[in-house]
Amino acid sequence: MPHLDHDRLVFLALGESEADAGESTHLDTCAHCRAEFDAFRQVAGLGADTQSLRELPDPPEHVWQGIVAEIRAAEALPTLPAPRAEQPRTEQPTAEQPSAGGAGGAGGVVLTPRRRGRWSRWAVTATTAAAAAVLGVVGTLVVLDATEPAPRPPAQRVVLASAPLRAYGSTPPDANGEARVFDNRRLHLHVVNLPDVPGYYEVWLINPRTMEMFSVGVLGDAADELLPLPPNVDLEAYSVVDVSAETYDNNTAHSGESLLRGTLTG
Amino acid sequence: MDGLADRFRAGDERALREAYDRYGRAVLHLAASTLANRSDAEDVTQTTFVAAWLARETFDPAKGSLVGWLLGIGRRKVIDRLRASARETRVVETVRRLPEPARTGPDPDTVVDRLVVADELARLPDDQRRMLELAFYDDLTHQQIATVTGVPLGTVKSHIRRGMASLKRRWEVDGATPGPRPAGFPGAR
Repeated sequence: MPHLDHDRLVFLALGESEADAGESTHLDTCAHCRAEFDAFRQVAGLGADTQSLRELPDPPEHVWQGIVAEIRAAEALPTLPAPRAEQPRTEQPTAEQPSAGGAGGAGGVVLTPRRRGRWSRWAVTATTAAAAAVLGVVGTLVVLDATEPAPRPPAQRVVLASAPLRAYGSTPPDANGEARVFDNRRLHLHVVNLPDVPGYYEVWLINPRTMEMFSVGVLGDAADELLPLPPNVDLEAYSVVDVSAETYDNNTAHSGESLLRGTLTG
Repeated sequence: MDGLADRFRAGDERALREAYDRYGRAVLHLAASTLANRSDAEDVTQTTFVAAWLARETFDPAKGSLVGWLLGIGRRKVIDRLRASARETRVVETVRRLPEPARTGPDPDTVVDRLVVADELARLPDDQRRMLELAFYDDLTHQQIATVTGVPLGTVKSHIRRGMASLKRRWEVDGATPGPRPAGFPGAR
């Protein structure tokens, strides 16, 4: 018997018609037709399972923000092609400014022009609400900075490191945020959808290797908070930003109830 | 299509955002349906796009579609994550002697295959797609489809035939589990 007609295989695989005796025998003995038949059957099965895939939900916004942040961080690595020749517009970054610790932090300062360039390119090219939200954060930074009693005029800050903050443990997954370390040793936190707690929120830096930690400060009710960091903190070691729910219990240790966490990169 | 794959490969940042807008949902679905932890799934989605962007020059449009390539990266990240959590589970079990069975979600390969077929289905000409959806989702016979749509039976059959051939071709190119080919068959991979 010659190979089964291609169309016939499709209809058999879809269950549209029954194989007659000759066709059954052929399918049992002909590897070629059997493979084609099995493939069509599998495709038909997969096709029937696609109905639920037509209206998949969008990923939450922080996923995109995390992608942008990680790509910027990765592209700032010194091993990648040289940054574009664009002068830094920031006023303050200087060579003696201590960096977060080691080459990574120093690279962040050196490569600032590139990073700023990136931001503005994203700004020009992005047309979506998501990108607008990212830019909104930049706007916030400048505003916050202006409220600081700094002796010098408010400058656009250089971000040494940043971390997307995600819901941790049993925290509702829509809670999220972002942490950034500026070159003036300030930790900027932007949080959204934190669950209500009976006490207050506290911000910690954790060394994930040793699980040693220290408190950076308390988070108020506002979505944004700017907290000073100790001058000599090693952000490469204490790389995890943690927001915890604390109660007024006179216990200064971490409650163990983490709401958000993220790892600083940059 | 509209050159998205080429622009992506060339490093056009707008193409990254477009690719994310189009396929971020599929990658997240792959991760969320195979990993127990929602934040792990989001993290895998994020690292998939970051890894794809950083490795964009290795993407070869001749070997498959952009979404197939992205899902392939996502699939590897999911498998890495599953292995890591299996290790953790073993450690915990050793300590506690509590053999808690690991969650067995759907197989990542099957999820990838489904997403690839869904993507191709969405790209088919409207007539072919409509006929196949009636056959797949509503389980209608070709005769019933002809009655429901008012399209002649012969035309229904030819739409379905061509649509099925496209789905199969695409699945063989981009799917994670190309069908079991008997050993010795000349077309075996």
